[in-house]
Amino acid sequence: MAANKKQTVVNEDSLFTFIDHNTIESEKIIAPRYSYWKSVFRVFFRKKTNWGLLILFTVLLLCSFIIPIFCKYDPNENVTNALMFHLSPSQAMAQTGGFSFKWCLGTGALGNSIFYGIWASARTSLLLAVICAAINMTVGIIMGAVWGYSKQFDHVMLVIYNIIANVPYILMISVLVYIIGSGFWSFVFSLTVTGWLSIAYFFRTQVMIIRDREYSLASRCLGTPITRIVSKNILPFMTSVIVTILATELPSYISMEVFLSFIGVGLSASVPSLGRMIQEAQTAFITYPWEFWSPVAIASLVTIILYVLGQNLADASDPRTHM
Amino acid sequence: MKKYLLRRILFSLFSLLVVIWTVMLLVFSLTDRSVIFQNDDTWNKRSANERIVYEYSQYQRYEYLEYVNYTSYASNKLGNGDAYTEESNLIQRQEGDAYLESATVQQFIEEYTAKGYKIVRLDPIKFSSGRTKGQLKPGGRGFLLAVRERPIIYRLFDYLGNLFTIETTNDVKDPSLTDRYVRFEKDPYSGLFAIVGSGTTHKYLLYFDSRFPWIHQNWIHLNLGVSYTRFRGQEITGVINDPSGDLKNARQQFPALIGTDQYVETSANFHSATYNMGELTDAEKQQFNDRYTVMTYRRSGLSMIENSFVIGLVAVVIAYCLGLPLGILMARKKDKLVDKLGMAYIVFIMAVPSLAYIFLFAALGTKLFNLPYKFANAQVKFLAYILPTISLALPQIGSLMKWMRRYMIDQMNSDYVKFARAEGLSEQEIFSQHISRNAIIPLVHGIPASILGCLTGAIITERVYSVPGVGNLLTLAINGHDNGIIVACTVFYTTLSIISQIAGDLLMVKYDPRISFETKGGR
Repeated sequence: MAANKKQTVVNEDSLFTFIDHNTIESEKIIAPRYSYWKSVFRVFFRKKTNWGLLILFTVLLLCSFIIPIFCKYDPNENVTNALMFHLSPSQAMAQTGGFSFKWCLGTGALGNSIFYGIWASARTSLLLAVICAAINMTVGIIMGAVWGYSKQFDHVMLVIYNIIANVPYILMISVLVYIIGSGFWSFVFSLTVTGWLSIAYFFRTQVMIIRDREYSLASRCLGTPITRIVSKNILPFMTSVIVTILATELPSYISMEVFLSFIGVGLSASVPSLGRMIQEAQTAFITYPWEFWSPVAIASLVTIILYVLGQNLADASDPRTHM
Repeated sequence: MKKYLLRRILFSLFSLLVVIWTVMLLVFSLTDRSVIFQNDDTWNKRSANERIVYEYSQYQRYEYLEYVNYTSYASNKLGNGDAYTEESNLIQRQEGDAYLESATVQQFIEEYTAKGYKIVRLDPIKFSSGRTKGQLKPGGRGFLLAVRERPIIYRLFDYLGNLFTIETTNDVKDPSLTDRYVRFEKDPYSGLFAIVGSGTTHKYLLYFDSRFPWIHQNWIHLNLGVSYTRFRGQEITGVINDPSGDLKNARQQFPALIGTDQYVETSANFHSATYNMGELTDAEKQQFNDRYTVMTYRRSGLSMIENSFVIGLVAVVIAYCLGLPLGILMARKKDKLVDKLGMAYIVFIMAVPSLAYIFLFAALGTKLFNLPYKFANAQVKFLAYILPTISLALPQIGSLMKWMRRYMIDQMNSDYVKFARAEGLSEQEIFSQHISRNAIIPLVHGIPASILGCLTGAIITERVYSVPGVGNLLTLAINGHDNGIIVACTVFYTTLSIISQIAGDLLMVKYDPRISFETKGGR
């Protein structure tokens, strides 16, 4: 009681001080600092397997881009020396005297080094995958955005899409390769000339969904220019979708190359490629297993790593996992 | 609905037309047409001018161009008398422009240049020295030709016009045949009725027999064109449809001898009888009542398309029977061990290039179960089908599991599931009666595509196990520069893909009445 009385004696006004009313400060909304990409990578690197896969992938990447620079792969280097044909790793190393990386996976049907061969081929495959994915994704996203946004464009594109979508993809690529040839760049052309269409169609649907959401409608009413709506309202929403598509696209081009070269409508013989190596070793599949399984293993390893990493990155890029 | 369907079908036909036209334009104008002579024996045997004329005759056969040989023109004009001999010798004897002095030659040139033909003169090639001086070199005969390129648009119309031929009673051009009809008759071979024609190319237009699919027809023929190099000159429909293997004999009776006790061991398929325009032998006159005496023979093996279809269909059935329940199980045990194992399998199937795991299955199957690896080497034919079927089914199981799990999980948080749970339904009931029925809707759409897709065969599987199927038709045609098969495959694959899209949509509407293609008012 007494304490209470004592407090009341204290002048209440002395406990409070007036502060200046600052209109600018009062507009600020305090929220925890959030950076989208930081959170994506935080979630991504929380998983230990991702670290392992990433390191493995870096090793594969370095190997396939550095080894072919220093050790030129020449498929015909031993073409005249029949002693070098179809050697198992141990035989090959015995033949050339002691351990060497060059012969550690044996030799192929023409005495070529399998070890150098798979890295040169993996380089082709990775380059092809990155170039094709870059072209198809860029064209696909831009066309998809326009397609989804413009109604006149939609009518025209739907007709084109419905015609082209009827043609099986394999048929389309095979016929194109047959007609324009099978060099690296013509192969890229065959894969990309219609490849972007399905991606664009997918993004068209996504853009249409977001375009008519209330907040987009609201900012359109407020007179926001289209470029700003696209870059601020629509694209951020699609980041995780884009990453998901990319994660399936990248390995799919590698598989596609392997598949097409294997059936003989892919890259020409002058370009080292995993598909062609597998095709050449196909008949030796039981008798000379190392020739066959080495390129198969590299192709599978690259695609699995790309696929799993991509899926995990796609999961991490979904803001709902950032909590 | 009907209006929508009609519009859809019309648009599909239009797009089919565009696709065929584009592929024909690309294939016939941008590729090197001379590759058809790569493994041609006749071409290799001939030389000089005769080789060039042979090339023209082949190009004409494959509809690249039209050409007229002057000698045949002259023989038409002058008959086969002395005047004709003199005219044709003129072409052989005279080099340079001397042949132009002949009135018939001038007429020929005038007539055909007016029609837009280009005149090609191949001078006779003669020995210039030695004992045989002045004589023709081998293949060195002189020729005078009129050649005209065929526009690709004509090819397209010809191709489409001949795509389907329907047999009519006026097909047989034999004036002695007066009794022309198409009618129902009792079929002595099956015991059932058959539609029998007279005056049509085939006698039996519709009939039943013991061979799958038990009902057959010879009425409408699909003509996909002619193979250029791989099956030189053969009809593509025949290539993919004709049974393979050894002749299969059976105790049968000739049509005229039915009712007697005269049986023969023959592989002839009496249902395939076609009209014989030539002279009948005495034996044929006894054995047949009519002139339908030419027939094909029964064989023990399956045709290319049947091989592919059998393997594909069994794989699809296995895939749906295993993939859907496994997907449901994974969704029920989400984040448990079953789910994780399933996910690992799905990642393996999705990420690894298909040929890697097909070879892996081949290696495992032959090593562990001692199953035949190459189709042709199999002792028991049935065993040869096992590995290809499994190789085809496993990836389909993976993809069905993946989507079934995805759609199940999407449905699991729906309100109707919470409501069902609140009503006190058991988890078992909720999953099997409520969620899976909704989750399966998008998958129903793919069923026609997977069944019809079996008709196009599987490229890698058939290659690895060397199955004699249709899967490699296109790729081998591309490697062999067989433009005929490429166009035929385009038509066939595109048509199948269009049909399966429409059928998938219809099936989905049938399965889920909430889905409708009617355009309801509003924007």
